[in-house]
Amino acid sequence: MIHQRLQSFLQKRHCTLLGVGPMSVNCVDATIELANEHEVPVLMIASRRQIDSEDFGGGYVNNWTTQEFARYVTDRDKKGKILLARDHGGPWQSIKENQEKLGLRRAMDSAKSSYRADIDAGFQVLHIDPSIDIHGQPDVDEVLDRVFDLYDFCWTHAQQSRKEVIFEVGTEEQSGSTNSQEELDYTLNAIKKFCTQNKIPQPTFVVIQCGTRVMEMRNVGSFDSPVRVANEIPAEIQLPKMIEICNRHGILMKEHNTDYLSDEALQWHPRLGIHAANVAPEFGVAESTALINILESNGLEKLAERFLHIAYESKKWDKWMIDGTTASDRDRSLIAGHYVFSTPMCRELKVEAGKLLAKKGYDLEQYLKEQVKQSILRYFRNFRLTRTV
Amino acid sequence: MKRVATIILNRNLPEITNALCEHLVKYDSALTDVYVVEAGSDSNRLSKYATWHAESPEVMTNGLRYGRGMNYGLIQLLKEEKFAQYDAFFLLANDTEFKDVSTLAPLVDLLDRHPRIGILSPCSQRWGERLLLEKEKTKYFWFIHNNAYLLRREFIESVCDKENPDIMDFLFDGTNFRGYGSESELIAKAYANDWAAAITTVVWASENESHLLEYADQIKTQGYEENLQLYIAEGRRWMRKKYGFNSHWSMQQYVKSFYDKFFEFHPEYSQYKV
Repeated sequence: MIHQRLQSFLQKRHCTLLGVGPMSVNCVDATIELANEHEVPVLMIASRRQIDSEDFGGGYVNNWTTQEFARYVTDRDKKGKILLARDHGGPWQSIKENQEKLGLRRAMDSAKSSYRADIDAGFQVLHIDPSIDIHGQPDVDEVLDRVFDLYDFCWTHAQQSRKEVIFEVGTEEQSGSTNSQEELDYTLNAIKKFCTQNKIPQPTFVVIQCGTRVMEMRNVGSFDSPVRVANEIPAEIQLPKMIEICNRHGILMKEHNTDYLSDEALQWHPRLGIHAANVAPEFGVAESTALINILESNGLEKLAERFLHIAYESKKWDKWMIDGTTASDRDRSLIAGHYVFSTPMCRELKVEAGKLLAKKGYDLEQYLKEQVKQSILRYFRNFRLTRTV
Repeated sequence: MKRVATIILNRNLPEITNALCEHLVKYDSALTDVYVVEAGSDSNRLSKYATWHAESPEVMTNGLRYGRGMNYGLIQLLKEEKFAQYDAFFLLANDTEFKDVSTLAPLVDLLDRHPRIGILSPCSQRWGERLLLEKEKTKYFWFIHNNAYLLRREFIESVCDKENPDIMDFLFDGTNFRGYGSESELIAKAYANDWAAAITTVVWASENESHLLEYADQIKTQGYEENLQLYIAEGRRWMRKKYGFNSHWSMQQYVKSFYDKFFEFHPEYSQYKV
């Protein structure tokens, strides 16, 4: 049903579906409101670091557990337009599994327990991504074995729980380089064989590296670059071939790391036949930027400085920086801002700011949500998800 | 008689141009004559291998760039009645670098073995395309972004303006000064006329961008960033004006439609399809 619903929507609209990372409460609210206002399905793609089950201590987004997050979304999603999606589920995708340096068997069990919580909470799209291994670099066949194990587990548990789930596969992320046509063909053939043998539905989505890569606050991949990106196949060559392979296998192609692409590049997504695209950090940065702007433009520079300091000290910007970066401390803080929204210090700061801004007639959270909405709407417009704005 | 005319474009970087010429003389002299177009170089900054010096006030100020520069060189060969004696033309920016082996012998051999290749580009080890050329070292592409092309004479003859040769439109469209999108136009012209455009890893070439970064003043051109912005802005305006394309993706679809058609009519080359 979910698969058919998405297929039919894509066929009618000739659009690209949007996956939104739940970067904050405002981002979640903005997404639900837009999906309902425009009556379009939107995938809410939660990574395990953002949202995870109680066993893992929840995630950094509002400290929500999987259950709490799912309840929050489904209670507000009046028209049922949000598809709760697990992004990059799999072993060692949670901080806890990394810190404890779990061995393969325990990491797989741990991943299964996270998926179990997802399915129980009503997640409908499960991305099976066992490409990470903190103890080595598994080859394609090893990764596929892990995919099959997790796929089978999730499907069986969903069947037993009478829950409907669809699957996303794809085993690379932010690699900068490209998965080869042969590798994609091989992977899809193997998964097809596994699904047929086990009478399990084929995956709905496959992640394809389309030449998108997010660093700092821009997309540094080849998709939007007029000049060559070293060691990458130009998107002009890579994309049509990958789409051709996906179409041959009857699987929808999903792009990750779509953040910060230009309007022109986004407008070409539906035309090129990219079925779905994920965007996450851009919306977090949009909210942090909006927070700083409203504070600074209302004489609350000290609060702005405090927020920038908290974000900077979190060091969460580190993994996003380009080698030899010239980014300022302020840039780093904006990159890390959404990671600290739920910390006690930041909550306290926002309460204080909210009170001061209320005196000037501003509703801080409403303002922030509106700014995130504008950022999401850029994708709605360019992906042909709405024709009215 | 030599089968290839190599045309090298220089502007005020004699040492770099000399080195490239000497490399070709050392490894490929049996196959090629080397011609150097001085694109508005100062008289004291000419390569010792300079063949022609374009020195009109306009060229002295702005240079020729790849499109106009190569048109200029090809037209000179026509005027000197040398054009027809060559089988192919190797068009190089002076920042091209090769390995210390013969570059042209394997390329010419490829032209002989692939009679429909009109445009042949050596791959660079920095290009992702090399990953597509592991089993089959030569494949036909619809997109090649490069400054080193070997063009078959018959292909040039099928698309050039021989009746009224002019540096603005003999082969490349000189109105697109810096050339963003020009290679796509040339590839479209190739496939539209039943010629293929190939990349090969049989030989390697690379572009040393550090020259533009380090010697922009000597070349009398804009710095790297400004040049890049102008390259894109001018190219986009050109694409819109000439084709009504507002995006390079439209250009890509245009080229690829000819590419796909080529293989419909030449199934015998399907193993070279990307």
